[in-house]
Amino acid sequence: MNLLPSLRSILEELTQRFGTQLQHAPAPQPDELYLHAPPELAGALCSTFYKKYHGRLAAVFAEDARAAEHAFFVYYLYALDAAHGFVLVRVPIPADKPEMNSVTDAVPAANWQEREIQDLFGIKLFGHPNPRRCVLHDDWPEVYPLRKDFDLHTKLPPFTGVRHKFREVEGEGVFQVPVGPVHAGIIEPGHFLFSVAGEPVLYLQLRMFYAHKGVEKLFENLPIPHCVRLAESISGDSSFAHAIAFCHAVERAAGIEAPARARALRTLCLELERLYNHVGDIGAICTDVGFVTAHMHAMRLKERVLRVNEELTGNRLLRGMACLGGVRFDFDADQLRALVTFVDDFEKEFNDLVELIRCNSGTRERLETTGVLTPQIARDLGIVGIAGRASGFDHDLRREFPHDFYDQVRFTVPFFTEGDVQRRMVVRREELFQSFGIIRQVVGKLPAGPIQTKIGEVPPDCVALGFVEGWRGEIFHWIHTAPGNRLARCKVKDPSLQNWPALSEAIMGNIVPDFPVVNKSFNLSYSGTDR
Amino acid sequence: MNVDLSAAVAQTALLLLLAPLLSGLIKNWKAKLQNRRGARIWQPYFDLVKYLRKDMVISEHASWIFSVTPGVIFLTALSAGLMVPLVTANAPLGLFGGAIAVVGVLALGRFFMALGGLDPATTFGGMGSSREMTIAALAEPAMMLAIFTVATMAGSTNLGQIVLAGQEPGWKFLDAPHALAFAAMFIVLLAETGRIPVDNPATHLELTMIHEAMVLEYSGRNLAFAEWGAAIKQLVLMALLTNLFFPLGLAPVVTPAALGAGLAFFAAKLLILAGAVVLVEFTNAKLRLFRVPDLLSAAFILATLALVSTFLFR
Repeated sequence: MNLLPSLRSILEELTQRFGTQLQHAPAPQPDELYLHAPPELAGALCSTFYKKYHGRLAAVFAEDARAAEHAFFVYYLYALDAAHGFVLVRVPIPADKPEMNSVTDAVPAANWQEREIQDLFGIKLFGHPNPRRCVLHDDWPEVYPLRKDFDLHTKLPPFTGVRHKFREVEGEGVFQVPVGPVHAGIIEPGHFLFSVAGEPVLYLQLRMFYAHKGVEKLFENLPIPHCVRLAESISGDSSFAHAIAFCHAVERAAGIEAPARARALRTLCLELERLYNHVGDIGAICTDVGFVTAHMHAMRLKERVLRVNEELTGNRLLRGMACLGGVRFDFDADQLRALVTFVDDFEKEFNDLVELIRCNSGTRERLETTGVLTPQIARDLGIVGIAGRASGFDHDLRREFPHDFYDQVRFTVPFFTEGDVQRRMVVRREELFQSFGIIRQVVGKLPAGPIQTKIGEVPPDCVALGFVEGWRGEIFHWIHTAPGNRLARCKVKDPSLQNWPALSEAIMGNIVPDFPVVNKSFNLSYSGTDR
Repeated sequence: MNVDLSAAVAQTALLLLLAPLLSGLIKNWKAKLQNRRGARIWQPYFDLVKYLRKDMVISEHASWIFSVTPGVIFLTALSAGLMVPLVTANAPLGLFGGAIAVVGVLALGRFFMALGGLDPATTFGGMGSSREMTIAALAEPAMMLAIFTVATMAGSTNLGQIVLAGQEPGWKFLDAPHALAFAAMFIVLLAETGRIPVDNPATHLELTMIHEAMVLEYSGRNLAFAEWGAAIKQLVLMALLTNLFFPLGLAPVVTPAALGAGLAFFAAKLLILAGAVVLVEFTNAKLRLFRVPDLLSAAFILATLALVSTFLFR
């Protein structure tokens, strides 16, 4: 057992406190600590990790293990940034009495994910403040798609169930403004219900999961090598990050590591993904306050990155680049030189764009103090990624859990506490400047060697966690392998799922016409949330 | 009242034909400045033809108000246009009440547009109407005061008389009352034509819309008339600004040479003003909605100062 010393000391403290109720299951990875606990301990462990070890509840998910163990398992994934380790608490839920106690009251970050478990596994929640339907909308019949006895090809009869009842907000002059689920522009479906008194927003209710595609179920029905392409399509703007997170998980389960050159190339691609998304977002924020000039320049810059992506990997969105055990294409010396030249040139142009935006007082006036997400709320909701870093929640997997080549490069993680739209834009801006440096450093010390490690059949019944700090925030893929190079379960955690509720909080007290820019400053993925 | 029929026909044709071109020109220039190629300047004509040939989709909850509104918008803009001197010093409906009638007729159009936004009871139309009224409440008085300033200087509220007074020797274009009133009118122009920093005519974000929100429910022929009306209104307001403050070159008599010169001067002045509007749109972000009244209050104060200064500088 080669557990990290920091995790080992936590394990010792927990064993002292909880005794034999808590069992430690060995895992091959030094930064993953698996604990088996009885259901009644879930809440106590949650507050211990949350309060004592300043952990974040990074994911809550379930697994149908009724065939082998006669129980469902619910997993609580804690990311302990200070200890540089992950703790997974596994709690059995008896198959004949599928009920669990909610931890949402103590840790609001678990809200949607617990309801997801209720919808998809039929495990009834107790003590949840709002235990209503979430993934499967209110009109769905009583089916639990992620249970093993639900066949992938099940055709449900046409159903017309009840419509979702939104909470009513009443008062003189208060009225409801429904927006969506179909929007103007090329975006995905999501329903926003504003309760407004004139222009100020009193309350915003979100209804997502219109684009639920059953991705996690699909993972269980594909051979593992095919799953990489599926992971790429979870969220279009994070194709590469999702694919790499999945590859990490499989590689860890198989006990191999991608060669150094592949890890460096992966880092380059992750930063390119960050580049095109961040510069696009900065432009989009500007257009939402009517400063179209900056937007047009940003779009031009974004297009340049997309073309470089295509030049390097054959795909503008970096699809098809990731593969198990490494990457599929190598960059030759000319390409690398061109990449560095591009970054130098891009940085110059990006500086001009930054200056253009900075000197426009009207834009600044619109962005500052708009859509404030306070550090307290960000912490409670477990907000991750850029939105978290703009609201005083300082964590970045690239620094705390360096994956790929990030332990070989130097960079800083920009971080603010104001939590307004301006800061969410500035975090992106500063991260871009860091990205330029990361790309230069990686190219400078790019190791020679192969770009793939052969990966055979992945051994069955292994669990592993794959993680990547994508441009939007941390992405987790947790897998449990099955015989025949397949998966028994793959949990996908996109940062959007965690961050959507923040929008309701950030918009409170702002006016309706500022909503688009607040929304854009988070720029969350519908597809990644809905899966 | 004396209406010159041929002049009325000619001016109507000019308004109808020139208005879409002006919109197309502004859009094209904006695109050029933003590093885009942009649609050709004739695009609004093609759009209008396209709308006119399309079917209309009308909400079953909409009443007759919804259907008459585009007609009212179109006709009020057109009749206001007939009261404003464009190429000649005398407008075809010049003796019909002058400046006050222009403002009043435009207000009628706006009133119906707001009703048309409310009528189908959709989410965004009502928001647009309420915002439009908030803005109008400040923009209209500013416009009135600015026009009164010029009228006081000329000694008449008849727009033709104002123009003729402006063409007399010794008339100062850039004295304090005129400069202040022009600044006020320019801000009003931005607000009335739904331009940045007040409204964004190119946005797809319904939640931020003002003018566009009110016409969001319209389609087909109705949309064509609403858009055409809005374009004409823009032309009328810009003509007011150019010809009232700089009545240079307006044909005092109806001869082919004078008309040609008048048309050339009018076009040149419009191009300069359109350029100014484009520059404002290009360099500014939209104001936060609750800051728009601040801008319009500034216009109102400028116009008040202009009016006061007419008596000081007399």
